[in-house]
Amino acid sequence: MIYLDNAATTCPSAVALARAETFLKENFYNPSARYRGGDAVARELRLARERIVSCVADPAAFEAVFTSCGTEADNHAVFSCAKRGNAVTSAGEHAAMHQSFVELKNRGVEPRFAPVTRSGTVNEEALLSLVDEKTSLVSVVHVNNETGAVNDIARLARLVKEKNPRAVFHSDGVQAFGKISVRLNDHVDFYSVSAHKIGGLKGTGALIKRKKTTLQPFVFGGGQEGGLRSGTENTFGIACFRFAAEEKIENLKQTCSRLAGFRELLWGRLDRSFYTRLSPEDGSPYILTVSAVGLRGEVLQRMLWDGGVVIGTGSACSSKKPHSRVLEACGWDGKTLDGVLRASFSSETTEEEILRAAELMNRAARELKETTG
Amino acid sequence: MDTEKVIIIRYAEIHLKGKNRGYFERVFSVNLERALKGIRHELHRTSGRYLVAKFNEDFTDEIMARLSRVFGVHSYSLGLSVPAEMESIYSAAKTVAPESGTFKVDTHRADKKFPRTSMEINAEIGGRLLAENPALKVDVHAPQSHVYIDVRENGTALVFGKFYEGAGGMPVGTSGKGLLLISGGIDSPVAGYMMAKRGMSVDYLHFHSYPYTNEQAKDRVVELGKLLSRYAGTARLTTASVTHIQEEIHKKCAAELNVTLLRRFMFRIAERVAEKKKDQCLITGESLGQVASQTIEGITSSNAVVKLPVLRPLVGFDKNEIIALSKKIGTYDTSVLPFEDCCTVFLPEFPAIKPKLSFIEEEEGKLDIEALVEEAVAALEVIEF
Repeated sequence: MIYLDNAATTCPSAVALARAETFLKENFYNPSARYRGGDAVARELRLARERIVSCVADPAAFEAVFTSCGTEADNHAVFSCAKRGNAVTSAGEHAAMHQSFVELKNRGVEPRFAPVTRSGTVNEEALLSLVDEKTSLVSVVHVNNETGAVNDIARLARLVKEKNPRAVFHSDGVQAFGKISVRLNDHVDFYSVSAHKIGGLKGTGALIKRKKTTLQPFVFGGGQEGGLRSGTENTFGIACFRFAAEEKIENLKQTCSRLAGFRELLWGRLDRSFYTRLSPEDGSPYILTVSAVGLRGEVLQRMLWDGGVVIGTGSACSSKKPHSRVLEACGWDGKTLDGVLRASFSSETTEEEILRAAELMNRAARELKETTG
Repeated sequence: MDTEKVIIIRYAEIHLKGKNRGYFERVFSVNLERALKGIRHELHRTSGRYLVAKFNEDFTDEIMARLSRVFGVHSYSLGLSVPAEMESIYSAAKTVAPESGTFKVDTHRADKKFPRTSMEINAEIGGRLLAENPALKVDVHAPQSHVYIDVRENGTALVFGKFYEGAGGMPVGTSGKGLLLISGGIDSPVAGYMMAKRGMSVDYLHFHSYPYTNEQAKDRVVELGKLLSRYAGTARLTTASVTHIQEEIHKKCAAELNVTLLRRFMFRIAERVAEKKKDQCLITGESLGQVASQTIEGITSSNAVVKLPVLRPLVGFDKNEIIALSKKIGTYDTSVLPFEDCCTVFLPEFPAIKPKLSFIEEEEGKLDIEALVEEAVAALEVIEF
């Protein structure tokens, strides 16, 4: 199988699994236990926390609250920070953020959505014009998960703070963390990350926060995670997260430049009489989104699976929700939205796989056009 | 003999079946056993009733729920079985009687040798209950609660407070076996339910057009099959791909006949499957006029390609009646999940509503019917659930 759906999830890293195994075996103790075994696990947990933070920020200024997933991290930031007035986000957010903003309306906070450009980045001017003295939270996705477009969050955070220093700035970094070079500056307050997009396990995420900012807990109990997120820690998952992150960060630059080459190679090999490119050239090297205009992406996806290529679509297609909300916001028409395919890569992706995938994508589009066209 | 908790099951039309009664009762008790599978219990037959006894009382609610889905059950009650003598009957009546409000004791005496008449039992038990609990009042016309006493011929009496309405109908398996064409929508599971209610065992056949439809659609049909099997017994789904057939129709035949022609293929394939599985009829969820293919002309065109009878138990139902039934039997929520269950890729913009048979046959003549049917039948899949 040629796996090109790494933006959905990645195959867990064998190295990370092997290194973390001790937390399933010898070191299974509860890190809250106050005997040596528990203390040792707690020490490892502290180390993992520090290492994960240092992948994207200064661990002296930032800390991590472990969560069950990126979605939880997003929700935690939104519902803790957007308590009054209005909250601003982009029309290009992942559902975890979009739906949280929709929910804000029920809680008496006005959600504001800034339009996105064709490529999927937020329209900076429009975003800033929505920020006023009543804005309590601004959240902008770092890497758009559907197009790969990258928002300059360091710049956006600075501009937002210039306009309203009291507004909290959050970014969903799930498609950026461990993939592209990230350094959080002092204007970013919160940053959501997830383990399973970079070779860790599903069920582990974190909300990275600036130490000075306050967060309100939603899960109460034994006071783990500094009282911000109670519940016995997922020690194995967190250890996997750390080891996978370290592995990715170590080779990040080489991976990025290799994948940027693969992305262009794939695009170069696709038959332009079928495929239109939706991803920007300056976007994340991990994502190439295209559309087989007039064909159905979901059908192509299943044909490709049968041919040995696993690839994503714009969003899970269903009769009730036929099109991707984000790509629709980018301004694409119905026929383009029908045919969306998203190829997303990982450090494991090879050139051979890219070439084969391009060939099969061309063949599937040709066949589908012949039978249904 | 001691007092014990029992569930009393009364059956419906079985007693009408004269000489076949033994057969009907045997099938019925097999069905009851199947419904209670996995829960410790004993099932006894007494005259005109079944008793579930020595059951795990932690499972009482679940047993009652499962019995509510067994066809042939007229009504059932949770009660006590006690020795047929007044002291035991009275103590049982005390546990069944309400704590307050109006009530009535209602005795049925099958054992005519029992030393007291029904009226005497009513009077004595009712009187003692009243004397013991001043919050009670007798109301023989419109009581809030009942205490039923059923003095049986075998030296026991059954005491209970309520009749629960059973699913009615006839025991599944006593009216033959049919093959249900199940799509994943609202109608077909209800059609299967209706036939099972009349005692028919139901096998399932689902058509898909992978890769145009997704695997989730198939999973949904399995889910519906599971829900339906609580009533209908069988737990096996056959699936057939009509992808190639649809592609051929799309390529070679008039677009407005897409659905009409596809349905004729489905019926042909279904008949072959039925033959293999010894099903005696096909069952569909069609309702007259609901969609373009369910007109009398559409039905005629489908029926023309098969010899087996095609039963359409919903033919005279409105959609809202079908939806109400679907909710009642518990398949509605699964049926309306937003997965694609039929191929919209090939759906014509204007399907023929009253297709002429001669036109249909002419268009169909452009296809190698036998080869396409054979191909589909050769690739059948069976899913057990």
